[in-house]
Amino acid sequence: MISTALKLFGLIALLLIGRFALAQQPLTIDITKGVQGSGIPIAIAPFGGGAPEDIAGIIASDLQRTGKIAPQPAGARADYSVTGQAQPGGARGYIVQFQLAGIQGAPLLNLSFDVPPNQLRPVAHRISDLIYEKLTGEKGLAGTRIAYIASGGDSWYLVVADADGQNPRVILRSGQPLMSPAWSPDGGKLAYVSFEGRRPQIIVQDIYSGARRVVSAAPGINGAPSWSPNGQRLAFTLSKDGNPEIYALDLATQNPVRLTSSSAIDTEPVWLPDGSIVFTSDRGGSPQLYRIGPGGGAAQRLTFEGDYNARPTVSPDGRYIAMVHRRGGRFHIAVLDLQTRQFRVLTSGGLDESPSFAPNGKMIIYSNGQRLTAVSLDGSVKQDFTLRGNGRDPVWAPYGR
Amino acid sequence: MQYITRNLIAAAALALLAGCTSTGDTTGQDQTGAQQDATTEQGITAQPGQDAYSYPYGQAPSQYDTYDTTGGTAGGQASGGRPGQAVAGGGSAVSADRIVYFSFDSAEILPESQTIISKNARVLTGNTRIITQLEGHTDERGSREYNIALGERRANAVRQAMIAMGVSPQQIRVVSYGEERPADAGHDEQSYALNRRVEIVY
Repeated sequence: MISTALKLFGLIALLLIGRFALAQQPLTIDITKGVQGSGIPIAIAPFGGGAPEDIAGIIASDLQRTGKIAPQPAGARADYSVTGQAQPGGARGYIVQFQLAGIQGAPLLNLSFDVPPNQLRPVAHRISDLIYEKLTGEKGLAGTRIAYIASGGDSWYLVVADADGQNPRVILRSGQPLMSPAWSPDGGKLAYVSFEGRRPQIIVQDIYSGARRVVSAAPGINGAPSWSPNGQRLAFTLSKDGNPEIYALDLATQNPVRLTSSSAIDTEPVWLPDGSIVFTSDRGGSPQLYRIGPGGGAAQRLTFEGDYNARPTVSPDGRYIAMVHRRGGRFHIAVLDLQTRQFRVLTSGGLDESPSFAPNGKMIIYSNGQRLTAVSLDGSVKQDFTLRGNGRDPVWAPYGR
Repeated sequence: MQYITRNLIAAAALALLAGCTSTGDTTGQDQTGAQQDATTEQGITAQPGQDAYSYPYGQAPSQYDTYDTTGGTAGGQASGGRPGQAVAGGGSAVSADRIVYFSFDSAEILPESQTIISKNARVLTGNTRIITQLEGHTDERGSREYNIALGERRANAVRQAMIAMGVSPQQIRVVSYGEERPADAGHDEQSYALNRRVEIVY
């Protein structure tokens, strides 16, 4: 019921935005799968106090989106309840206070925050994550961010938005293509490929200062940047020696080391927590995923299903590799469990690409060729990010600042 | 006649300038925009370092239509035209006799492409001051970075064919845009066929 209300609200919001604020291009998120009737019921009362943001509404929408919690209106039968206030006061402008309670007994959470007005949304996300973690034992995603590429007219944009799609910030605009954004492990920088000057370059940009550094501008391909787990090295693809090979660059010394050597395409490197690298190669005739050690060496083939497995991405714990998988001429997101070697196809689109794990490892955001979408690792929850214009190459930011 | 002569002189001056730019270049494969700007007759006008604008997150604009440079339709629609049309933002408006098309998943030069390649090769061997940029493209299916590699493989196939026809390797630059600059914005086989291509830009 509340789900329908939320959708309707989202739709109205979208229409209003379309009508009055053409310039604004937020993502709105619809849960499309696995939510109705499932999840832990939790009654959320409107927050009193007259704050300019609907704190309870934001919390309900955040929790709804997890697929594991089913927000209900105040007073409905539910296992848990959330009540709170957001009123002017404190040193910074607003005091936000909330309680999470079970059916009986002492409150499970009882916290208050002193925040400036522009932090009311972030604090609502923080509360959502506290509730989610309390009830499920998993870290929440409401306070995280995503980055993606958009384009319109003759411009390409690198955008950073909150995980609910709100607050989209253009941190780079270019008159030439942008692609392959990758978050540094501390969430403070993005590496990406820019074709400015009509040649591909790998650039690292500090998102807070806007400062940019060209990390690679070799002849030929400069592509697919990926940060090492400690953030000190960057792996990427260069074709300066004739065909695409994987390199790793120490960001302090700026010295790139070549890790692969084949006459085939080697590209799309990503790091496992142990420093080894998984990448795409068509050395066997079709693109498949391979693994090499931190210093290169013999490659071990990881994928055997179908004739196309590419663009690997690694879960934060290093156990799962999500990828683009083709079967029957259609492209889907699939996941390989490195522990059990089980291979599962997660999505049913035909143009699915660019998967990226959420920092809690429970969701994967990807592009279905038209829109940004997220699917849970077990396939049970699906979220569509509906945005005006286009969005592609999504990457979920790590926890951290 | 006088007009043509003047143009030829201008072209020669530009070529000379390009030669100067490339002195001190040790790789011999440099693809700097400055060189191309100076030597190409059409299409390539972007100036390196001037087509990207970064913003600190805290002050970044949250509206992006404002920043469209086209002055055209707002709304962030992907640009693109129907078959045969030049595409705004979709790369150089290259005429049909400078486009080599490819089969799905393939970088093999098709027999019907030989005429186009040899015609352009003759222009290049006839004037060794012309530098061409071979721009490789793919359709939208599959992974974006893998498509960058596929696009480069296609451009290299055309490069090899041109070299076999006598064109000097020094006259050829290669760049791959993968699926990032479709010639046609559609999502059907007809559009895909138009997007799997190498544009011979000079």
